[in-house]
Amino acid sequence: MPKIGKDALEPGMKLAKPVIGQNEMVLMAEGTELTERLIQRLQDMDVEAVFVEGPSEQAVPLDEALAALEKRFKAVQDKQHMGLIKRVVRKHIEGLYQ
Amino acid sequence: MEPIDIRTQRVKIENIGALPTLPGTFKKISQVIGKPDVTLSEISRFVAGDPALATKVLKMVNSAVYGFPGRISSVSHAIMLLGLNVVKGLLLGISVFEIMQQVMSGLWNHSLGCAVAARAIAAKKGIKDPEEISVAGLLHDLGKVILLLDFQPLYEEAMRRAAAERISIYEAEQGVFQESHAAVGMWLAEKWHFPPNLVEVIAYHHRPGQAKRAPMETAIVHFSDILARARGFGFAGDALVPAVHPAAFELLALTEADIREVLEKMESSLDESSGPIL
Repeated sequence: MPKIGKDALEPGMKLAKPVIGQNEMVLMAEGTELTERLIQRLQDMDVEAVFVEGPSEQAVPLDEALAALEKRFKAVQDKQHMGLIKRVVRKHIEGLYQ
Repeated sequence: MEPIDIRTQRVKIENIGALPTLPGTFKKISQVIGKPDVTLSEISRFVAGDPALATKVLKMVNSAVYGFPGRISSVSHAIMLLGLNVVKGLLLGISVFEIMQQVMSGLWNHSLGCAVAARAIAAKKGIKDPEEISVAGLLHDLGKVILLLDFQPLYEEAMRRAAAERISIYEAEQGVFQESHAAVGMWLAEKWHFPPNLVEVIAYHHRPGQAKRAPMETAIVHFSDILARARGFGFAGDALVPAVHPAAFELLALTEADIREVLEKMESSLDESSGPIL
């Protein structure tokens, strides 16, 4: 779930986490669909960024991320349990790009 | 650069609080938490007397590292809830953050990733005080910070060797210092009266089979360290994943689904904290 700065919000985005204010009050609930009016309200509040639904933007393309993974594991992948660990981490990384 | 025997420098390391180049927060904090009989109320007053520090403490306890997100709004409440040992570890974590930012910024993300993973695994294993495991994860590489602070050119030499010879930083340290960051961290943790389980985790996170008091806690941090490196979070001195200690991995008895969940937790909390957690 990406974290979006309050100036980059667009109508139609859905909150993936509630927005919590100063006194621990929930200002907007998880799942709220943002409208122009709600975005205006967020911008007026002391909130820097919010979490919205959807895949996070990744810093590097998938093939680069997987190549780096292979390199990190190269010396140990035949050691006990390391094949399993690598497989799980690989699935996890692939999942970040879907 | 000539290797040295770091064991001859143990006293110097134990008195790191006296180092003239030490950043201010670290110096103050090490004086307070290094007192053998320090009380919770003393720590509470110390933190409350420094607004910048108090803000950092609140940010930290309300982050995913500690698992009370967004619910603690006063320093005294935080300190009551976490207890003396966790608060000492937390303060130390905050002060080493400052140093890590200056000397090796990737080490902070690595430590955070490890802390979040360790907490998630501790929760799965039903460990009584998961916050203590968070602290252990956050501080497991304390020795690296000390070596970087006190012997920076030699530590950089160790990192160069690790990269050139494709060995782990743990091995390279032993070539340059005759001992590793794990021993150095242990010296300081003992000197500062950290709880014995935390001392053991710091001392044996690379050799979990040696842990006698806290084998489960040590195995958790050992594996969390490996997971953070496997995922490629931060930088801990080399770009390699170390092999897991088979007996420690078997002790944890995690399924593939468990490991996936731990990775998810690590991912979302780092999303959150890639912004300025402190």
